Amino acid sequence: MYQSLLTRRYLTSRVMPLLAALAVMLCTAMVLIVWSVMSGFLGVLLASGRTLMGDAAITWPITGIPHYAELMQRLEDRPEIDAATPTIETMALVGLPDGSPQIWRLIGVDGESYDRVTAYRDTLWWRKIEKPLPKDRDFQDPRLRLDGGHFERGLTLTEPDPVTGEPAPAVVPGLWASGYNARDPRGWTIPRYRFMPDEEVTVSVLPISRGGAVVDVRAKRFPVANEFQTGLYEVDANTALIRLDALQEMLRMQAAERVAPFDPFAVDETGDGFAEPTVVGVDPARVTTVMVRAAAGVGAIEARDAAADVYRRFARERRDAPDPDLVRVYTWEERDGVRTFIAAVKKEMALTVALFGFISLTAVFLVFSIFWSMVSDKIKDIGVLRSLGASRAGVAWLFIRYGAAIGVVGATLGGAASWLIVSNINPIHDWLGSALGIVVWDPAIYFFPEIPSRLDPFAAALVLGGGVMFSVVGAIAPAIKAARLDPVAALRFE
Amino acid sequence: MSTLTGKPGVILAARRVHKTYRLGKVSTPVLRGVDIEVRRGEFVAILGASGSGKSTLLHLLGGLDRPDPSSDTRSGVFYQNQNIANWSQAQRNAYRRSAVGFVFQFYHLLPELDARENVLIGAMIRLGRIGYMRERAGLRTAADEMLEALGLGKRATHRPGELSGGERQRVAIARALVNRPAVLLADEPTGNLDRATGGKILDALLEIRARLDQTIVMVTHDHEIAARADRVVHLEDGRLAETPTGEPASASASRE
Repeated sequence: MYQSLLTRRYLTSRVMPLLAALAVMLCTAMVLIVWSVMSGFLGVLLASGRTLMGDAAITWPITGIPHYAELMQRLEDRPEIDAATPTIETMALVGLPDGSPQIWRLIGVDGESYDRVTAYRDTLWWRKIEKPLPKDRDFQDPRLRLDGGHFERGLTLTEPDPVTGEPAPAVVPGLWASGYNARDPRGWTIPRYRFMPDEEVTVSVLPISRGGAVVDVRAKRFPVANEFQTGLYEVDANTALIRLDALQEMLRMQAAERVAPFDPFAVDETGDGFAEPTVVGVDPARVTTVMVRAAAGVGAIEARDAAADVYRRFARERRDAPDPDLVRVYTWEERDGVRTFIAAVKKEMALTVALFGFISLTAVFLVFSIFWSMVSDKIKDIGVLRSLGASRAGVAWLFIRYGAAIGVVGATLGGAASWLIVSNINPIHDWLGSALGIVVWDPAIYFFPEIPSRLDPFAAALVLGGGVMFSVVGAIAPAIKAARLDPVAALRFE
Repeated sequence: MSTLTGKPGVILAARRVHKTYRLGKVSTPVLRGVDIEVRRGEFVAILGASGSGKSTLLHLLGGLDRPDPSSDTRSGVFYQNQNIANWSQAQRNAYRRSAVGFVFQFYHLLPELDARENVLIGAMIRLGRIGYMRERAGLRTAADEMLEALGLGKRATHRPGELSGGERQRVAIARALVNRPAVLLADEPTGNLDRATGGKILDALLEIRARLDQTIVMVTHDHEIAARADRVVHLEDGRLAETPTGEPASASASRE
């Protein structure tokens, strides 16, 4: 009882314990903010990586997978898989409207099924918004003035043909791919030079033979239907989507008649000097990748295994399908580059949090120093308490409890401070940028246009608990010193 | 366990008690076979010069310190026939919590607590959280009554820094008495006060003694203050010499 009374009084009548609590507060807030930003960074990275490819994929590059519609049907029949979509991925040289060239990763997609497997719909940037963003008091966001057409055309990757008016294949590049857009510090994007959905681009691709040789160069102009933003800057700056059939045609992966080898003795029925080739069959259309979305409650790994199983059965029945032992089936996290990148980010996050945690050990020494001097300052009081019958353990508990109280106060304040900062990290960053010219978070470097953050309750509990524990640890040695004081010597202490 | 025999009414006693302080290789004997008996309700003054070992004897009687180990089974500090020198740390803690109350020369109030809290802290230590919470209302009333009786009724919420020396010492007396100890051990309670204030403190102690039949052992170097006790013992060269019954302490002191 006396411990709680004295703890309360010590906390409220002295500056030193408040300084110790401040140290704990700063340390816990520092670790929590770093952890939250790193965790948010990783979270957005993972979510963005998933945005464009669903949960798992089956890939066979160059020549691709035939009969993919049947494969998709079989995949969707599995309870572990909710939806499947065909895609083709290649590199493309793109001529922008101003003539400048760019190299983009070009993904051919079927808009409707792609939207079922990925969050494509949510990434389309140019769409009508009803309400301005909180800081857009002057209604400057161009999306406020758009009609619904951009969104619909982006979703189907089509633009009306200027001559026939029929829907024609179109391109949907990432928001930062053209370099024409700029982000307003207040949260919206402004087309600086040109509004891409009103423009056309020239796309050049290289169809490749079974042997890996370039067959020829195919180039074509496409209108731009919309732009997308996944939030992953690297993707948004280097990727474009195109309607699947257009890319199939350019890469010579569409369905085609297969003809018999040239016969020099064949009869020339047309009279043009060449005999008509004999059609011996039809080569089906192909795609390089089939992406799948896992059913609700099913993990990416389960979906991957189910897809692999489906493909094995499919390849047994379809002799022209690539060998199932060679075809890659993987989750979105296992994708080349993504796995090492995510692993690296996770390691960096662990390292950063550990480093800041280590720095926070200074709080232990701070509490220790403050408590050590406090015990020296309170020697007479300890003698009085012992003369009144307080036990050694009771005196030790007084200081440990006091340390815990400082830890609780500091950690609570630290938790509140970090919550406030993490919740407003982008406005704070914007303010620092406008008021002091300090721009720490450059989207070009950090992948995301805004500082991501996620205050995980488990992490918060761990850090705040750690703050309290550090304070208690810092108080242990002074508490033992206090408990071991001889009461007579304490009373006579000058 | 050693016992004190054949002494009816004796509540506290020291028998053949030795105490030596050691600092490195230097040994300083302070008490050399001290014998003293205190009867229930008695007011005993231990008179001695500065450094004569008065406070040491008081600390031994209060269980704050132990006498030198001895092979003599009859030596020790006895409280109600039990040798507290042989008690464990926990037993001596319990003894200080309930059997004795200390008043110090420099008050030793806890500066962060107000007067009432300073008085109640002894009860908090004695009763623990649950016990204290159960008896809180009664203890608070008792503390306020005690402060009132000592003339501090309106100073209960004042911190020691806001009180005069005499007021602080009265708070210290109230703190020592809040647990209704069998023996009040006062170490130069007037030593830090002017004569007039010291006189008032002594009046308060005597009034308490009369009202509660409180046993008091007080050490002092002031003959006039000692003279107001029932019995005065002199501590000199680590040994006690008792003033003959009925003879004023001042007379005895004058012979030294």
